[in-house]
Amino acid sequence: MMLAQIAMDQLLRGIALSAATMLLLGTAFAVVLLIASVKLKVTVDEKVQQVHEALPKIDCGACGYAGCASYAKAVVANPELLGKCSPGGQATAEAIAGILNLQVRGGGSAPLRPIVHCRAHKGDRTYHAEYAGIPLCTAANAQPNVQACKFGCLGFGDCTRACKFDALHVIDGLATVDYEKCTGCTACSKACPRNLIEMVPFGQENMMTVACSSRETGKVTRSMCQVGCIACGLCVKQSDLFTVDDNLARLNYEKYEPSEATETAMTKCPTGVIVERGKTARQPRAAGEKAAKASA
Amino acid sequence: MIEIKGTMSFAGGVHPQENKRFTEQRPIELFTVGKQVAILLGQHIGAICKPVVAKKEAVTAGQVIGRAEAFVSAPVHSSVNGVVKDITLQSHPVLGRAMAVIIETDAAADNVKRPCPQRFGADFDASAWDPVRIREAIQEAGVVGMGGAGFPTRVKLEPNPQMPKDVIIINGCECEPFITCDYRVMTEWTHQVLAGVQLAARAAECSNVKIAIEDNKPEAIKIMHKAVRECREAKNIEVVPVRTKYPQGGERQLIKAVWKKDVPVGGIPPMIGVVVLNVATCAAIAEAVVCGNPLTHRVATVSGSSIARPGNYYVPIGTPVADLIDYCGGLDEKIAKVILGGPMMGFAIADLSTPITKTGGAVTLLTKEEITRAKYDRRETPCIRCGRCLQVCPAGINPTRIAHAVKHGMLDVADQYHMNACIECGCCSYICPANIELTGYIKTGKILVARAKKRMPQ
Repeated sequence: MMLAQIAMDQLLRGIALSAATMLLLGTAFAVVLLIASVKLKVTVDEKVQQVHEALPKIDCGACGYAGCASYAKAVVANPELLGKCSPGGQATAEAIAGILNLQVRGGGSAPLRPIVHCRAHKGDRTYHAEYAGIPLCTAANAQPNVQACKFGCLGFGDCTRACKFDALHVIDGLATVDYEKCTGCTACSKACPRNLIEMVPFGQENMMTVACSSRETGKVTRSMCQVGCIACGLCVKQSDLFTVDDNLARLNYEKYEPSEATETAMTKCPTGVIVERGKTARQPRAAGEKAAKASA
Repeated sequence: MIEIKGTMSFAGGVHPQENKRFTEQRPIELFTVGKQVAILLGQHIGAICKPVVAKKEAVTAGQVIGRAEAFVSAPVHSSVNGVVKDITLQSHPVLGRAMAVIIETDAAADNVKRPCPQRFGADFDASAWDPVRIREAIQEAGVVGMGGAGFPTRVKLEPNPQMPKDVIIINGCECEPFITCDYRVMTEWTHQVLAGVQLAARAAECSNVKIAIEDNKPEAIKIMHKAVRECREAKNIEVVPVRTKYPQGGERQLIKAVWKKDVPVGGIPPMIGVVVLNVATCAAIAEAVVCGNPLTHRVATVSGSSIARPGNYYVPIGTPVADLIDYCGGLDEKIAKVILGGPMMGFAIADLSTPITKTGGAVTLLTKEEITRAKYDRRETPCIRCGRCLQVCPAGINPTRIAHAVKHGMLDVADQYHMNACIECGCCSYICPANIELTGYIKTGKILVARAKKRMPQ
């Protein structure tokens, strides 16, 4: 009887002791946490969070910041940066403007979209040898003269891999943009080792372009590629939007508007290197086909 | 008698099949120049030359056609008598296309230049030349490092009070398979090379010279040693046999083997008081200073199992590779790859109009079979973590980790694994049982990092 009593006593005391210890510890930690929560409080700007929510959250880096979160922070701090998100476009800019009580200026500038400045498919180019190295454009670019033209598209798809939107594919040896899917994030233009992809302000739904980057003389370009710009200057005679500089014709994208003059330039181009790019662009005429004898 | 067996070496390296037997025993032959030559205006590290001739201007062999305007640069000279046809872009083994002076050779003139090793003997005394004059003569002759990098020799030899020179190492290793041009130069033009060595030592104001030769060239070691002993003035010159191993002829590896010091990553040998000169460069120095001849010709090996007349030729700089191959019997159907340089570090060229430069000492022709035996058709399999690339890497880095990082776009990781320490010797790619092009990925990674750095505005 006595023994059982003592055992019971011991047990109860043990339970009481442990309960007390836990309570003490819990209280101590609670106090620590309480102090920490006050002392180490991180103030989150609600606006930053809201702006971040409004952004596409794809962290593409087109705005020039590491990701959407850092752009959100930057745009809240400096309203000048509004409208830098090209994947989001006008809608995102307006949403952010709503949060920050700002005005979107002048309806926004024309969205930037990439144009590949080359139009040569595999059959149009001259190859000196077969490339058997690492199938990356950067690696192939370091192995000179395999493809005669040192400016043209290599077709190993560094841009395709860089694209997060499945908007760029290598079709028959040429990087081709799918403008329906493209958001203008600039990743492809940064990936191309030959700097063929330029971000162009698309003032129109379809832009005209001189799809070549060759700065070789006309004679050399012709020997290397069937659809290269030979800098003959015919387009310049048609429209003053074209200029020829350093053996390469170029269109002034800022001022471009479709007109009869540009249209004639396109049809008159002897190598057919002036083409249309965009969502509903017309198919360029096949390589080697003689220029249509357009009566001025 | 000298001990032939070399004991000195570095950690790592591989032993590729030497294949020197095709051309080893073939004396240096004169080469009849073809219809035209294309002399590149940038054949060296440093500023590209400015052309000083005009179209349709007649030029004579040895005339300056490109003037060096910067300190780190070297002039280029016409290697033939003829008329300037054009100054235009020409295929370049590394840069793709670069400016070159195209000269149509004058068929009537004597365009064969003969080397002059007979002018040098055991009694050569370099002390008759003033160091400043030697350096000037080297610069005027456009001598650059002929082992591959093409660093202007005058800049290398210029005494620098901040970095005193302790030793000059003469590189006669020739560790690349197939190539034998340096071996022929050492055995045939021994005294000329030695004269160049003495002149270089005088110009650099450093008397301690070591001539390193791989022990797979016992003949060259013997001849060079005998010549050094005969030479009265060459007291501080020592011939050191080094172990036969690739890349023994790499600058950093050779310094490690002979001088037991490491060149810091991103640094250059003068930082630790060393100058490394190739034997062909020494021969060119001797000719430039004593005979006053500019560097217009070089010895080049044309080799391969499938070429009719492999050999060592005294070739005018600017000769298209195609001419050289035709002279040696033409391209065979079996030949699948033409390499400017050796198979390990050379540049595969796609355009055979690429000219021979001051730095390119060989044309190697490989058959499809030979390539297949090594690597073929991108038959790359996953890394099996065998670690052989780590064992052979002479730079002591981890090629497989770097290659994986580059493959997956993690350039920061690649950088942390010391991608910049890679000397691109190709040992890892050579040894890899999974056929991974490790060196290729590392090279690609370096290019990508350079691009990323360029675009960092913020």
